[in-house]
Amino acid sequence: MDTVIDAHNISKVYNPETIPVYAVNNVHLHLKKGEFTALVGPSGSGKTTLLNLIGGLDKPDEGNILINGIDITKLSANDLIDFRLHNIGFVFQSFNLIPVLTAKENVEFIMQLQRINKKQRDERIKQLFKEIDLEDKLNERPSKLSGGQQQRVAVARALASKPKFILADEPTANLDSKSASNLLDIMDKLNREENITFLFSTHDQRVIDRARRVITLVDGRIVSDTAEVSTKHEDADMKH
Amino acid sequence: MRSMVIILSIAVGLFAGIAVLALYKGMMKSRVRTLIYAEAGHLQIHDSNFKKDYDPRYVIINGSKIIKEIASAPGVLLAAPRSITQGMLATTTGSAGVQINGVIPELEYAVSQLKRKIVEGAKFNSAKKNEVLIGKKLADKMKLKLRSKLVLTFTDSSGTIVSGAFRVAGIFQSDNAPLDEKNVYVDIKDLNALLSISYAFHEIVILLDRDEDVSSIQDNLRRRYPGLLIESWREISPETDLLVKTTNQYSYIIMIIIMIALAFGIINTMLMAIIERTREIGMMLALGINRLRLFTLILLETIFLTLAGTPIGILAAWLIINYYNKKGLNLSGLGEEMMSSFGFGMIIYPEFPIDKLAGVLIIVIATAIISCLFPALRALMLQPVVALRR
Ligand SMILES: Nc1ncnc2c1ncn2[C@@H]1O[C@H](COP(=O)(O)OP(=O)(O)OP(=O)(O)O)[C@@H](O)[C@H]1O
Ligand SMILES: [Mg+2]
Repeated sequence: MDTVIDAHNISKVYNPETIPVYAVNNVHLHLKKGEFTALVGPSGSGKTTLLNLIGGLDKPDEGNILINGIDITKLSANDLIDFRLHNIGFVFQSFNLIPVLTAKENVEFIMQLQRINKKQRDERIKQLFKEIDLEDKLNERPSKLSGGQQQRVAVARALASKPKFILADEPTANLDSKSASNLLDIMDKLNREENITFLFSTHDQRVIDRARRVITLVDGRIVSDTAEVSTKHEDADMKH
Repeated sequence: MRSMVIILSIAVGLFAGIAVLALYKGMMKSRVRTLIYAEAGHLQIHDSNFKKDYDPRYVIINGSKIIKEIASAPGVLLAAPRSITQGMLATTTGSAGVQINGVIPELEYAVSQLKRKIVEGAKFNSAKKNEVLIGKKLADKMKLKLRSKLVLTFTDSSGTIVSGAFRVAGIFQSDNAPLDEKNVYVDIKDLNALLSISYAFHEIVILLDRDEDVSSIQDNLRRRYPGLLIESWREISPETDLLVKTTNQYSYIIMIIIMIALAFGIINTMLMAIIERTREIGMMLALGINRLRLFTLILLETIFLTLAGTPIGILAAWLIINYYNKKGLNLSGLGEEMMSSFGFGMIIYPEFPIDKLAGVLIIVIATAIISCLFPALRALMLQPVVALRR
């Protein structure tokens, strides 16, 4: 399988002069196309920081991050903005949508930035809203949508740019359990049917249970990774 | 809500700017109007030596013939003669230096509105001799009343000192207090007899049909009467000309002050807008909107709001100015004394400064754009990671 994310030995230190906080400490992370991975860990363990580094929103103090073979730590600020636009989809915990735009316009906006023509945009919007099951809310403003519906629109927007993978920082944190499981259903379906790669952080055990790979962070270090366990199993199997 | 604040502040700024210009334009126009129709006329003719020291010897040679020619020339409304001398007005209690104007009453009433300015007493009574009209300011200063007697003393055309006793027939008051204090009017026959200049005179005041003809008719007259001094109101009252010009500049300075206030308003509102939208902007930056595009977006928003506010401001200004242009705006609240000492009337008719509209528009829009640059730049400095964590 293709490698999408290949992070080597990355570290991020806050306040290096005063009381240094190793928000991310010497992390190696390898993600393949089509993975459905949860990033878990106690509050302050560095989940957001790690996602920001991988998403190119922040620069690591050490290490390299290769996305589809391109080292994003070496890109200029402007190139990085462009890289994000074309390669990475984001879903944030809250406040994902632009309040003055309708649901449709929020999704269309990202494609306009990519200079995709009107006809293609319309087709894609139709298809995306079908996937998130919100075809009837196309022209509603975010304030008229429930939290769960807003997050589904955010997933549609993240998908609109046809990114290499989608990063979601606690996408269900502000949702009730029904909306949360609904959102997970959609993400799960997209992953299974269209092989979309997801990396999401969460505190919620029910969400963790749906992940096919779980990476646990504590104090900025990876303390467990189910993929490694399974790889070891595979290794073990091979020996038999 | 915030958009309304910006739209309204643009509208108010524009309105204030236009209103100030309209008021100035109205004041200047009325000052020039007063100068032309109540004081100096469009053009004045003197002997070229007369104005040096107002020596009564220097009458206009062939005056009666010239005044007839001018009065019938095309574009000329009327031409009135004046005999003029500088002299001393004395009463039993004191004296004051004055300019004595000998006028043909009926012509003078038409050329400088003298009759209309009379506030006490009456116009000249043709049956009586040695009547004088004096200004209110002078009457108050010299404690003169109607029917009071006074003595005017001056040198005649041969340099001999002469004096005559006059009786106050009327007291006039114009919009120009300094002039009221310095000028007295007598019948030209009475003055000419004392000056011994028979039917001659020193000044021809000309009113034209149209203001625009001043310089062309002035040129014609200069060609026709090369020996005479022919001046337009601008030359007769250079201070008024200067006033009109400096007021033009002042009005721009006031505009700029208003615009600075407007700019602070916009900067404030836009900064608030950006602080409120920090997360939104951070999110857009994270998604990959480039900074130039974001900057353009914020700029466009301000321009859009400015353009929305502009017609409101112009329309409001137009309506209110037109209302007062018809009704007149009473500025006596500013102090009658002050206004008349500058030669301004109490009622101003503000006029929509259509000629300056483009300039005002450019200033307002430029102000709006410049004042949103700073907030826009601040938005560009936002780091998405920091903005999103808020
Ligand atoms: N801008 C910053 N300056 C200083 N310290 C920071 C900054 N951002 C994060 N940290 C610190 O880095 C560490 C990791 O924070 P991070 O937000 O990545 O954790 P998290 O796992 O996402 O936590 P949570 O579950 O609460 O979202 C924490 O100790 C936090 O206090
Ligand atoms: Mg976090």
